[in-house]
Formats: sequence, C-alpha cells, structure tokens
Amino acid sequence: MLTEAKKNLKLIGMYFKFNLAASMEYRASFLTQTFGMVLNNSTFIFFWWILFNNVKEIGGYGFKEVMIIWGIASTSYGLTFVLFGNIRRISQMIINGELDSYLLQPKDVLINIISSSTVISAWGDIFYGLILFIGVYGFDLIGLGLFIFFCFTGMIFFASVMICANTLTFYMGDSRGITGLIFEFMITFSIYPEGIHNSYTKLIIYTLLPSAFISLVPVRLMTDFSWNWFLLLMGALVGWSVFTYWLFMKGLQKYESGNLIVSKL
Amino acid sequence: MSIISAKNLSKTFQVKTKEQGLKGSLKAMVSPQYKEIQAVKNISLEVARGEVLAFIGPNGAGKSTTIKMLTGILHPTAGEINVLGLNPTTDRRKLSYKIGTVFGQKSQLWFHLPPLDSFNLLGRIYEMEEEEIKKRISYLTELFEIEDLLETPVRKLSLGQRIRCEIAASLLHKPEIIFLDEPTIGLDVVVKQKIRDLIKTLSQESQTTIFLTSHDAGDIEQLCRRAIIINHGQIVLNESVKNLKYNYMNQKVIDIKYAESVTIDHPELKVLKSKGYAVKIEIDSSKCDIDNTISDLMKLGKVVDITISDPPLEEIISGIYQEKDIGGGYLEKA
Repeated sequence: MLTEAKKNLKLIGMYFKFNLAASMEYRASFLTQTFGMVLNNSTFIFFWWILFNNVKEIGGYGFKEVMIIWGIASTSYGLTFVLFGNIRRISQMIINGELDSYLLQPKDVLINIISSSTVISAWGDIFYGLILFIGVYGFDLIGLGLFIFFCFTGMIFFASVMICANTLTFYMGDSRGITGLIFEFMITFSIYPEGIHNSYTKLIIYTLLPSAFISLVPVRLMTDFSWNWFLLLMGALVGWSVFTYWLFMKGLQKYESGNLIVSKL
Repeated sequence: MSIISAKNLSKTFQVKTKEQGLKGSLKAMVSPQYKEIQAVKNISLEVARGEVLAFIGPNGAGKSTTIKMLTGILHPTAGEINVLGLNPTTDRRKLSYKIGTVFGQKSQLWFHLPPLDSFNLLGRIYEMEEEEIKKRISYLTELFEIEDLLETPVRKLSLGQRIRCEIAASLLHKPEIIFLDEPTIGLDVVVKQKIRDLIKTLSQESQTTIFLTSHDAGDIEQLCRRAIIINHGQIVLNESVKNLKYNYMNQKVIDIKYAESVTIDHPELKVLKSKGYAVKIEIDSSKCDIDNTISDLMKLGKVVDITISDPPLEEIISGIYQEKDIGGGYLEKA
C-alpha cells in the first residue's frame, strides 16, 4: 500500500515536470495566462473591499476571513488543475474512448489519467491565492504552513468531487452538463461566508457536495483550532477519496472504448 | 507453445436506440430502449511465440474489440483469455510490462512535444533505468531511422513519421508481444513499405510475437504466415497465408504482349484489358488447363512478353467475404 502510494506520488511528480516543460513550449501563452488569471481574480478584492467599507461583517466573517477563504479556494483550485489538469476532460475522454492508452500502461489508471495534462492558467490561481493570503495574514511560517496544508486538502476534495461528477459518464452516458453545474456549485459555495447559508444548504455543503471542507472548515481551524473539526476534515477527506476511487474503478468496467482518431495533448 | 489463448470469447455492448425526430428523442427520454450488440461471439484462438498473425475482417467485424480484450482495455462478457500466462482483465498492469500496442488511430505520443520527451516519459512509466532508456532509444532510433525526428514536436511530423515514432514508443520496454491495430492506415505506398520492412526486421531480429490487424492485403501477404478472418464477431477462416492463397486463388492473370494484332476468342478466357498488341486475360485454373491455354495463346501470334501472376490478396479476401456471406460488420464500433 505504501509502495503503491510512493509510486503514485512519483508518477504525479514526473507528470508535473513533464507538463511544466510542455507548458513552456508556449512561453508567451504561459505567462499571459498566468498573469491574466491573477489580474482577473484581483477584481474580486475590490468588490469585497467596497462591501466591507459599508458593513462590518457578513455571515460572521470580516474582510480578512473572506480573503483567506478566497485564498485557500483559489490555490486549491489552482493546484487541482495544475497537477490534475485532465480532470476536466474525463467525461469527454470516456465518451471518445481515449482511456485506451492509459489502460495499456502499468500505472494506476486514475492517477495516470488525471495527472497527464495541466491547465496553464491555473498557475495564476495558485499565485493569486498565495499572494492574497500573505497580503491579509502577513508572513508567518506556521500560518503559511497551515495554508499550504489546507490548500492540498482542498485540492483533494475538489478533485474528488470533480472526478465523481465526470465518472458519472460511465453510468449515464454523458455527465458533462451536470459536471459543469457541480463545478460552479463547488466554486460558489467555497468563496462565500458560511453564515449566509441556511441549514439545508449547510447540510449539502458538508455532505453531498463538500465545498465547506475546501475553505470554510480550514478558516474555522485557522482562527480557532479544534481537534474535532480537524478530525472531521481528515475523515471526510479519506471518505471522499476512497469513494471516488471506488466509483471510478467500478465505472471503468463499463468502459466501451471507441475508434475516434485522438491525440494526447 | 501458445502465448495468447482465447476460449469462447464474447463481448456484448448495450446500445441505446431511439426513433427519429424530436418525438423519438422525447420518447427515449421517458422510456429509453436498448438493444444488445454482440461485437464478438465465441471466438477461440491460439497464437504461438514468435508468430506473426494477421487478424483481418471488414469494418466492424470485431477485430479491435478482440484486441482490446486481449490487452485488458475491455472486459469480456464471457470467455477466457490467457496472454503470457496472465488474465488481461485482472492482471492488466502486470501484462502491460510485457506487451506493446499501436493503434493507428490513437497516439500515445504527446502532440505538442518532441518524441524524445515522450520516449523518456514512457520509459519512466515502464519503470526502466535511465541508462536502459537511453540505450533503448538509441537502438530504436537507429532501427526506425528517426534520428532527425526526435526533437521535432509531434504535431509537425507527417503521418508516416509519426507512426514510425509510435511503433518505436511501443517497443521501448521490450515487449514480448506487439499488437498492431491498422498501423498502415492512411499511409502512402512508400511509407507503408517502410513500416512493413520494420515489422519484418522486428519479428526476425527479436522474435517478437506480432498480432496484426489490417485492411491492407499487402501487410498480410508480406508479413504474416497465418491469417484469421473474422466477421460478424466470429472466426470464418483460420489458416496459413500460403493456404489462403492456394485454396482461394484459382484465378490467374496472364499479361501477354504480341508482336502483331490478334483476336482472342476462347470460351474459358476472360479478357480484362486490351491495348494495342497487349492483352490482359483472367483464367480459372480449376476449370481449364493452364498448359494448354498458354499453348493456344502462343499459337495466336508471335509473343514478345508473357507474365502469369496471382491476383492481389485483396481480391482473394474480398472473394472470401462474398463466399462466406460477408457484407459489413455489425457495428462500426470498438
């Protein structure tokens, strides 16, 4: 099990280097996409800044907390698509029968698929979240360590939900529509203060679509650490990861391949 | 000793059906209807180590589906498979170290990167040592004459160059069996020949077992010793290419060039083409004696040149398809 995990981490590292080299093939595109995304995200800071000039707090959050959840959500999202860029294409790959070449390689098929491509603009999301966090929290090693840790847990939650949504294609033919909706939901509910949601919404964001675990629970832990919340977060993380893997592997048995002409991009 | 063995292999796909138009779509939404398509039916086959086998059939016959089951991509609905002592369905990862696959229509190279980068990554995916990867790349580069292509992004390679790199990539980890699914599809005559020569060298030099599907009779004629013809998901013929030509090749083509104008009026002969003093004739050797016919033809006038040849294998296979009531496959799928 440990060897397997080590092998998978090695594979992710290998693809990371490989994809970075591929991104550098188009240097101008890499730089404009990265900085474009930072600029694009920055506009939201002004929106919140103006808002918090008029009200003291929203849903129990001040400007600083809102910026931290934005920071964690943004970097988590960025990490997901830098490391596992192919997540966004799983549905289409299943439909087009593009999983063949991954099934012919001696690696874990899910890790192999999701790691084999990257989204260049997601680098912008990583930098934006990091700059935002340091900007509002200040430079503090423990704080930064926690931030990075929670960005990685957020990445696993975000990746798991998106893989599950895409994996539904095995079961229902095409889940691209529903994947788009879930994507929007996960983003939206991870960047707004928890207090503005009613109890039904809270139930959903802690269970079915666990966006609360991406940024809201980490902010709670960073401002007022509790072992109960931490264990809940870690338990949910393991549960979602295991479920996602099981759902994908089960679905893979239904894979029908195809004869479309395809290239690895 | 057989290294690929399949017993009563079957694969069924469920396909959603719908009546035409908007009404049909609405009806399909409320109560979806499915029909079962049996892409492969009870196929049993054996392949020996070092053998070069042609697996042929029309579009949708079930060739690719069979290959995908043998390589572990698809799970069979029924039947047993054993490839190099492993079950591809359950031992997919173990098996992948021992087999190589080239799908003419699917690339395993990264489109935006030069083949050398893909080779290095694939080498690491197959857990090869750095030094071993280097050695292997240098060997394959020489064999496939791809030295000039190694640093050019795949998107800028021609189809023929890309296929050479694809085959080289699939051989990186020294597979014992290589599955080639239509490797010469879309290539021009010269490149096709080059690829065939490479496959031939490969089979002779390293004793690699080759399982080849192709629509191209030339591939089969030049490369394979045995052919399995499949249609409607079933094996319709399994015999040596030599026998295939012998048993199904009663037709001979005679090209004869006279020094003067002649008129051919022979009930057993079919004139295919006549231009100037040159005539192309088809003769059925099972119905008439070749010796006598040639003598008759020689008596018609002074002969400048004469050639007797077999019709292309393509025609023989198409004859078998017709004889065995083969039109097209079940489905243009897998």
